[in-house]
Amino acid sequence: MTAPTILLVEDDPSLRMLTARALQENGFLVRPASAAPEMWLALDNGPVDLVLLDIMLPGTSGIDLCRTLRQKSDVPIIFMSARASETDRVVGLELGADDYIAKPFGTRELVARVRAVLRRPPMDRLAGSAEQGVLTFDGWTINLPRRELTSPTGAIVDLTGAEFDLLVVLADHAQRVIARERLIELSRTRLGDSSDRSIDVLVSRLRRKLGSAGTPAPIVTVRGVGYMLNVAVERQ
Amino acid sequence: MRLLKRPAGLLGQVVAILLITLLIEFGASTLLYERASSFAVRDDEANRLAEHLVISRRLIGERQPAQRGTMAAELTTDRYALLWSPTPHPTPRIAPALDEMRRQVIEWEPSLRDARLTLRLLSPGRRSVVTGGMRLVDGSWVYFRTREPLAGISFTAERIALALIPAIALMVLAGVALRRSFRPLKLLATAADQVGRGVVEPVAIDGPGEVRRVISAFNDMQERIRALIAGRTQALAAVGHDLRTPLARLHLRTEALPHDDTREAILHDVAEMEAMITSLLAFLGGAEPESPSMADLAVLCETVIDDAADRGADARYHGPDHLELRVRRLSIKRAVTNLVENALHYGERVTLTLAREDRETGGGVVIRVSDDGPGIPEDKLQEVLEPFVRLDPARGRDTVGFGLGLSIVAKAVADEGGTLTLSNRAAGGLDACILLPDIQ
Repeated sequence: MTAPTILLVEDDPSLRMLTARALQENGFLVRPASAAPEMWLALDNGPVDLVLLDIMLPGTSGIDLCRTLRQKSDVPIIFMSARASETDRVVGLELGADDYIAKPFGTRELVARVRAVLRRPPMDRLAGSAEQGVLTFDGWTINLPRRELTSPTGAIVDLTGAEFDLLVVLADHAQRVIARERLIELSRTRLGDSSDRSIDVLVSRLRRKLGSAGTPAPIVTVRGVGYMLNVAVERQ
Repeated sequence: MRLLKRPAGLLGQVVAILLITLLIEFGASTLLYERASSFAVRDDEANRLAEHLVISRRLIGERQPAQRGTMAAELTTDRYALLWSPTPHPTPRIAPALDEMRRQVIEWEPSLRDARLTLRLLSPGRRSVVTGGMRLVDGSWVYFRTREPLAGISFTAERIALALIPAIALMVLAGVALRRSFRPLKLLATAADQVGRGVVEPVAIDGPGEVRRVISAFNDMQERIRALIAGRTQALAAVGHDLRTPLARLHLRTEALPHDDTREAILHDVAEMEAMITSLLAFLGGAEPESPSMADLAVLCETVIDDAADRGADARYHGPDHLELRVRRLSIKRAVTNLVENALHYGERVTLTLAREDRETGGGVVIRVSDDGPGIPEDKLQEVLEPFVRLDPARGRDTVGFGLGLSIVAKAVADEGGTLTLSNRAAGGLDACILLPDIQ
């Protein structure tokens, strides 16, 4: 298996060099670019497995680049930004970016995110269940790009990254039982807050957050097998 | 009409108020004088005065001019005082004529009709005495005054009331008018009190000319202050953002170093700087202002507590499973997180209690974060809410951030129109209480 090729678009020369080196040391091939024109040239030079894109670039902004790139290609995109603003993150994800990383980042975080996005099956991304669209069930709304869950009464219900990922997996496989082992595996490929947290704890927290005194959460335990979201899910 | 519509100056208004006051006072006095002329005395009183005057007129008139003064003194009794004068005295100005009483006296002694008798009411102090004069045959004058208030003429109470009622009415009128003139100043004072508390609202320009100018200048000043603060904030935020790129380089460079203690120490410093910048930017309000939305506060608090518990802390949540409130969700979450982090920094155990208060007891949603740490000295409870304040310098070294944690909480809570109260618990430890208004 050949090493994955990463196109790195970053205007700060030192940071570009350092990021490239960090990625190379972790077994990736890196094609560096300083701005939009170089990026298009690099893309012409051969296939790329992932694009690491700085949001604040001279000339065409990373946001615009992402929009254009998405129209041409399904290549995974990870945004990098020094602003760490919620809008940047949401806009980036809504434009079809696969993940968002805030500057400053460490090698470990960068490599983990790149690997996580690369590990996602292409179909997962294309189907959009990864970061695109809106899922609804039982009055609840899951907004994937915003990573927000809204209750039937319209209130935003706070979920941790791991809880959100778990809910999305359950919703993606609604009315089908998912084995615990499979959930653990899925939770590792995604980037929840911490993957060593037990799935059972996550499920019980999700239940508490989705349930209320009168109506328990629609997550059922199938003894000895796994869990199931026991309602129909609609995708928009 | 144009002149009337233009707002008069403060001076103009005060002069106008004084003028109206004087006019009414004048009117009231005139009325009092008019009334005095119709005051009547008891018949025996008028009779006695008439007799005394007739006798005095004859006795004094019979004497040589040199002896008339002495005669007048002799005729002075404990009731009437008399004085002879070769020439007429000027009429006292502020003494209403007693026309009715004069008529009574002349009715008893018609001979006084030729004496050009005058009767006036004089009130030195509160006692009203009657004074008057009459002409002798040779053109000299006898003046007299009653030494005691005349029976039947003591209408002091009525006169005081007559004088007091317009005075009181005038004071009330002037008070109301002046209050109206000064109301814009009061509004200005209220607005000035709000400066620097996040509300920038221009004061409506109203009132007398001078006040209008003050309000207009105040509004301009308020706007300049706002722009100044916004400029500084932007500059500070820009510095914060820009520091992130060199910091990212430093981070990556350090990670490329061989593993040793120095590398770990530098990475620790870098992490601390990153945390400082994050907290600074959070304090400055983030990249964009958040707008309120409906959020489940109970789930939000539980998430913060779960997070702390996952990192091995003794963190507990007490409260309902769900509690919906319209808030700026991210900034409230940051506030709750800061309180919990703070509690765990100084204590071992943290308890978060969430409750919706009854409407009878004022209403509101209470988020209470209690720890078992050392608490805060009573005299420092307010100080710690100020930005960049850190207590005990000895322990400041292992505190992450600029000491902005509680200021960020205070700011987030103030944005919601709520209050943050810090208090020391009787059992030891700090109790941080956020009270949010419960607007459904």
